[in-house]
Amino acid sequence: MPDGAAPTLLPRQRRKKANLRPWLRALHRDIGYFAVGLTIVYATSGLAVNHLKDWDPNFKQVNRVHQLVMPLPSDDEAAAKRALELLGVAQPPREVYRASASQLDLVFDQRTFHVDTTSGVVHEEGQAARPLLRIANWLHLNRGKKAWTYVADSYAVFLLFLALSGLFMIPGRKGLLGRGAIVLLLGAAVPVVYVVLSGGP
Amino acid sequence: MSHSNPEIEKALARRRFIQSAGAGTVILALGGVYVLSDDLTREARAQTLSDGRPRLPPGQRVIRALRPMGGEPGDPSPGAYRLRVHGEVEAPFELSFAELLALPQTELSLDVHCVTTWSVLGAKFKGVRVAELAARARLKKSARYVIFEAAHGYTSNLSLRDALKPSVLVAHQLDGAPLPRAHGAPVRAIAPDFYFWKSAKWLTGIRFSDHDEPGYWETRGYNNHADPWKEERYA
Repeated sequence: MPDGAAPTLLPRQRRKKANLRPWLRALHRDIGYFAVGLTIVYATSGLAVNHLKDWDPNFKQVNRVHQLVMPLPSDDEAAAKRALELLGVAQPPREVYRASASQLDLVFDQRTFHVDTTSGVVHEEGQAARPLLRIANWLHLNRGKKAWTYVADSYAVFLLFLALSGLFMIPGRKGLLGRGAIVLLLGAAVPVVYVVLSGGP
Repeated sequence: MSHSNPEIEKALARRRFIQSAGAGTVILALGGVYVLSDDLTREARAQTLSDGRPRLPPGQRVIRALRPMGGEPGDPSPGAYRLRVHGEVEAPFELSFAELLALPQTELSLDVHCVTTWSVLGAKFKGVRVAELAARARLKKSARYVIFEAAHGYTSNLSLRDALKPSVLVAHQLDGAPLPRAHGAPVRAIAPDFYFWKSAKWLTGIRFSDHDEPGYWETRGYNNHADPWKEERYA
């Protein structure tokens, strides 16, 4: 001892805290990247099918009326051939069907011509698939094979992980102890307020 | 007036953030319950049916024409069409499209109500009553339910009593024209007293059953009975 003064205390060696945040961030990042594709599928399809009453998210509708120059031949096959010539359709129909004395249906893969053989009026109607959106909706509504259920369930688990891990990624006042808590409560309030105002199920 | 104190600036910024976030939450929530009204809907709300029910079920808006509501289309070909009537019956049978047209036809002006809240009033459907088909098939006493079978495994279910109502049809015409593809060509079911998903499009079969079998939407959270006047939308 150099003098009678109390010896200076050495700072206690800090015990190393187990820090889970880097792991959380890494997992959140990688699962986030992995989920981007499925999120785009589910989100775009969700927007599309949420507005089913305003539009058909799977098909574009075709509805046209044509007037043919009359007369048409009395034989069904010949009448169909002549009608298609006049309509400018080169493709042969899948089916020529005599639905009634005055109605001949010319059926194609995506459209049907209903020909009134007495007046020459033709109603063309059909639907053409919206390619990507139809597939997204098909997946979203789980109308495919059963195996998709496993993919959808896994995606739901990933989303839960992203939501929960996101809560703990940022420390301090911008995290759960400050701003994060306010935004979290506001977000949670949206369904609660909606259920209260709408009366619920 | 500006505040030079950074603490005050910070507090004000926080207050502004909380205020705008709160306002955003209320707008989001209210936006969901805000519904526009219109003349067709107001007129329909003033009318009543012969049995005293309001013509327009609660929560519905009137639009002018049926909307195609999706679904996996079936084969629209009338030449290849077959309707199978089977199950708890003495005389199961199959009908071609031509044979269906040859049966006694009924044309009805019907109101239909979609669970997504639109309704169309007075749509004209032509077809054959399910009761007519049931009579031809001679139901067994065990028959209690009717399952409409459609393309790609879609089904919907009704009680026998509901399915045999005179307004329940197997329809092939809409508003004087052949049933369009988007609405289930060549043949669909029409059950106007129930939400429209019960009216299976691209109908391929009518099965009489001794037990209830909830269908495609009924097993996905929608109500098994689906009475629009009771707003039985969801399970």
